[in-house]
Amino acid sequence: MSPLPAISHTLPAQGLLPRPEIVSPERMPFRTPGVDGPTIIGQPNEVAPGQAPSESFGNLLGRMVAEVNAKQNVAADAVHALQSGGNVSLHQAVIAMEEASISFQLMVEVRNKLLESYQELMRMQV
Amino acid sequence: MVDLLSGIQSTSAALNAERTRMDVISENIANAQSTRGTDGKPYQRKVVVFETALQQALDGTGQVATLKSARIQKESRPALMVYQPGHPHADARGFVAMPNISIHEEMADFIAASRTFEANLAIVRNAKAMALQTLAIGKK
Repeated sequence: MSPLPAISHTLPAQGLLPRPEIVSPERMPFRTPGVDGPTIIGQPNEVAPGQAPSESFGNLLGRMVAEVNAKQNVAADAVHALQSGGNVSLHQAVIAMEEASISFQLMVEVRNKLLESYQELMRMQV
Repeated sequence: MVDLLSGIQSTSAALNAERTRMDVISENIANAQSTRGTDGKPYQRKVVVFETALQQALDGTGQVATLKSARIQKESRPALMVYQPGHPHADARGFVAMPNISIHEEMADFIAASRTFEANLAIVRNAKAMALQTLAIGKK
């Protein structure tokens, strides 16, 4: 039973990282609770530094990152409770993991889109 | 955040309910020969009764019917009297009260429960596939 808790921590992470080369630089801030969102996504924020109220969009992104993080924590808790014999059934843990994985992928897609538009702007001829 | 896997709440509740049903069926099969329970009587067959419950959606716009797991009830089937004079639980005339459980009936119920579980799992799988395909819209 001793190796199982270690597996329970690696399981969600493995399910969530379909493309480690993209995700790995952002993973560390994700795992630490209490990090505010806009600092994590500082580079995409430079996309729109102009007159538009970047505050609200940054807040939106920050909230989204926080919610994805919350889902990750829920999934990790469910797997942990399952492994330690808590009142969680197998399908609940798996569904929590799937939800966390899909919301993470949604966030990665949003980040990809932001980076793409940033690079598009950088390629622009002046 | 909106739930990305649509309809997952009721499916999860249904999976719970089917699991309870399978637990009860396995208990029935395991106790098919138990002539004494903790109450001193032969084991009584248990059945699971499913109930639906309305679940209020978060925004209050709609209600989703969720399958809530079930009450477990004892069936009031009379015990089966079997003539076994040497049995320790035999009465004065040599009859033993056996639980009135048919293994075939339990196995048929078990197959139904397992197929229903499978159907709900298929819904989970499809909901996930739909979400992933929708996310793939943005990919080149």
